[in-house]
Amino acid sequence: MSPDNKKRPGQRPQFSFGVLGSARLRLAAAFLLGVAGGAAVVFAAEDSVGSLPGIRFEGYPNSPPVSVVSRKADLFFYPCDQCHAAMEPNPDIRELNVMHVAELQHGRGRIWCLSCHDLENRNYLRTLLDEPVDFDQAHLVCGGCHSNRHKDWVFGAHGKRVANWQGERKLYDCAHCHDPHSPSIQPRAPKPPPPVRVGLELVRGASHERDSGVDRKEAED
Amino acid sequence: MPVVRFIIDGIREMLRGPREYWAWLGALSLVVLFGVWNYLQQLEHGLVVTGMSDQVSWGFYIANFAFLVGIAAAAVLLVIPAYIFHREDIKDVVLVGEGMAVAAVTMAILFVIVDLGRPDRLWHMIPVIGSMNFPVSLLAWDVIVLSGYLLLNLAIPFYLLYNRYRGRESNFRLYFPFVVISMFWAISIHTVTAFLFSANPARPFWHTALLGPRFIASAFASGPALIIIILQIVRQVTTYKISQSVIETLALIMTVAMQINLFFVGAELFTDFYNEGAHAASIHYLFLGLQGFDSLQPWIWFALSLNVIAVVILMIHPLRRKTLTLNIACVLAFLGIWIEKGMGLVIPGFVPTPLGEIFEYAPTSIELSVSAAIWAFGALIFTLLAKAVIAIEQGSLSYRAREHGQLG
Amino acid sequence: MSEHSDSGNGDNRFSEARRRFLRGLGMSAAAVAQPAWGGKTFGDAFADFFQKHYKRMSAEEIEETLERIKRKAEARYGVEIDCENTPPQENVVFGYAINISRCKGYRDCVQGCVEENNLGRDSQVQYIRVLQMDQGDSNLEHADHYYDPETVPVEGKYYLPVQCMQCDDPPCVKACPVDATWMEPDGIVVIDYDWCIGCRYCMTACPYWARHFNWTEPEIPAAEMNPDTHYLGNRPRPRGVVEKCHFCIQRTRKGQQPACLEACPTGARIFGNLLDPDSEIRYVLANKTVFRLKEDLGTEPKFWYFSD
Repeated sequence: MSPDNKKRPGQRPQFSFGVLGSARLRLAAAFLLGVAGGAAVVFAAEDSVGSLPGIRFEGYPNSPPVSVVSRKADLFFYPCDQCHAAMEPNPDIRELNVMHVAELQHGRGRIWCLSCHDLENRNYLRTLLDEPVDFDQAHLVCGGCHSNRHKDWVFGAHGKRVANWQGERKLYDCAHCHDPHSPSIQPRAPKPPPPVRVGLELVRGASHERDSGVDRKEAED
Repeated sequence: MPVVRFIIDGIREMLRGPREYWAWLGALSLVVLFGVWNYLQQLEHGLVVTGMSDQVSWGFYIANFAFLVGIAAAAVLLVIPAYIFHREDIKDVVLVGEGMAVAAVTMAILFVIVDLGRPDRLWHMIPVIGSMNFPVSLLAWDVIVLSGYLLLNLAIPFYLLYNRYRGRESNFRLYFPFVVISMFWAISIHTVTAFLFSANPARPFWHTALLGPRFIASAFASGPALIIIILQIVRQVTTYKISQSVIETLALIMTVAMQINLFFVGAELFTDFYNEGAHAASIHYLFLGLQGFDSLQPWIWFALSLNVIAVVILMIHPLRRKTLTLNIACVLAFLGIWIEKGMGLVIPGFVPTPLGEIFEYAPTSIELSVSAAIWAFGALIFTLLAKAVIAIEQGSLSYRAREHGQLG
Repeated sequence: MSEHSDSGNGDNRFSEARRRFLRGLGMSAAAVAQPAWGGKTFGDAFADFFQKHYKRMSAEEIEETLERIKRKAEARYGVEIDCENTPPQENVVFGYAINISRCKGYRDCVQGCVEENNLGRDSQVQYIRVLQMDQGDSNLEHADHYYDPETVPVEGKYYLPVQCMQCDDPPCVKACPVDATWMEPDGIVVIDYDWCIGCRYCMTACPYWARHFNWTEPEIPAAEMNPDTHYLGNRPRPRGVVEKCHFCIQRTRKGQQPACLEACPTGARIFGNLLDPDSEIRYVLANKTVFRLKEDLGTEPKFWYFSD
């Protein structure tokens, strides 16, 4: 589950001084965010004023320091401006004929692509206040609507901490488990049921077909 | 040394007897040997050869253990009338009763040993060189009280018989305090065994204050049943004088104990079934089956019927006095209580499991043969002890006889 | 019915992988085929028999014992293992919580535990059991232990994984006649597998069915053996003794997460130090509606459940 930072064939380097959109200033600010080069970014140290430059949300009071597992290397199409820099940004809500994620199964029509993706620069996401968010800090976007869950995630009651219960607190980002374009987790096959002590298989066999939830009184009637 | 002679003479007496005696010992030995061979299978492969599982982790072995501790405790029903109520007729047979207690305690201890996953680590139980979790663990208590009871029931008769063998009076002031101790000790072995089960809130079937009293009541019903049968056999095959009054007293005790025992069963049934909650699952499984699982159901109803028939016979005075019907009642009561207090006590404690799973249990042939071997071994011990005890009590085995060359 | 066993068909005591492994090491099948000795030297067998209780061994004796355990594992399974005796950390008491809204009943935790802790595939011990319950019903008697649907979660059900609760007032510790099980300072209830006499009284006493017995010799395919072991944890255990979840003592004492938590893909499991007020577990206990199983028995489990 830990991302490997290998470059995929054909992927351009992550920091391109090439084609820029109209909002150079914003891009520069966003560039500062991404300067760590794919490494984790520390978020919301306790009592610190301001969490990340450009973001108004200051984190939760008394929250423990957290670092987030990077995901950019896992994103096949990243950096998105490989294509989108050459495309004219179109803010109108419409049905898209796209290369990826045609149907958004998230929010039942309350959101669409540009609710989370930055219009001007596709290498970033956006908060509700239109602040640019690096893909490695995608939780800031999710937390904008799912604030209770986000708070739980920061404090450890939701999501998963990597490797250790002690020491540096590294968490998996929301998108690690929930595909933002269809976040609900689908049912899958369970691992096999527990075995019965060797030699006693027949003891269990008689009731393997038994339903759960059989009420004792019902079974008697 | 006289005491060495005493032991040697005792052993020689045990190894002397008519053909029927040897046939009896031979038959018992065969059962023992067969069981030993099966136990070796168990040592080879582990307890997987039994029918036990994580769900029902105690089975036939512990069922027999619980029952036999009761039989051992019932020897006190001879000791008390003999020494406190000065019943001379009972005093004549009290040593036979203690022989039965020795056999029963030995069997109980053997049943625990064969049930252990690591009998090679038995020494871990010994205080100081091992680490005995006393006084917190009830099992540690049980080991102590059973060992102590065995010791008492060997030491006191040894002392009395040795003096008899030497033809002299025993010092009442010396042995009587130990006799009194053994009376309380007898009650304690069975109470501790009951507490072993009732201490577990994880097992609602056992977690009742009534379990201790139930154990004593059923012990005082099944113990005399066995003693009555044994005394009649002794009377038949030896010239040992056993008054009918002994048997009548035991029969009376047994009657009252059976009534109390059945009352306790009734109390349990009412308490659990009147407002039936989750805690009643085990007793429901036992008497009525649970979710279609009911392998113990025929057994418990059978046992209950046996007990009821026995108590009815016993309550009818003419029937209690008549040898045939009395013996029938004794056999029925012994069998009924063995089922109810053995499998009928241990197995339902595990069904359903604390996580609500129903998983049944049946003993395997290895468990049955090892158990039969232990019972046979107990019978063997009792036979040998009784042989020596009777000879000494009758005076035919004595130091004087030895000195006068009158012994073989 | 034994399709769930990992170690090959039932009659064959040694898996194919292990045979090859052993042949490669030049071990004779005969040396390993005697379960009682396991190919030990006489000196080792003697030392084994007289091995002291863990709490009474000196540091040197423990070292010798660890070496002997490594030798035994080599002889028995043909694998070189590491066996440590990592002490508890100061100011740490472990606690665990499961979010039952997140548990989908995958049983990945069960699998992870079996692999991490060298559980005998033939003795079929599993420390974790996941119960499928009907929504709205907390009666354990209605639980399904053997659910095996096409997919989980099943509509109208919820899932309750149960394992050792590491009680603060453990009835099993009281029950043991030889003090083979006790609670360590970091809150883990441990077992000295070399001291246990296999009486199974602790299994009777446990209200959570958390303790399991090795009815046979544990079989672990050599290729699947986890070599990082702890004396009180996942080192290979003998037959005839009781074992149970120990919060992956070989991992957690080094600051790592237990294997069940690592295996869980939904993040339903939360683990940490109850004495650290900033830990995740403390946050859960303070902010979520938590409950414990069989609270009324007074066992004080250090294992909570919550939903959100």
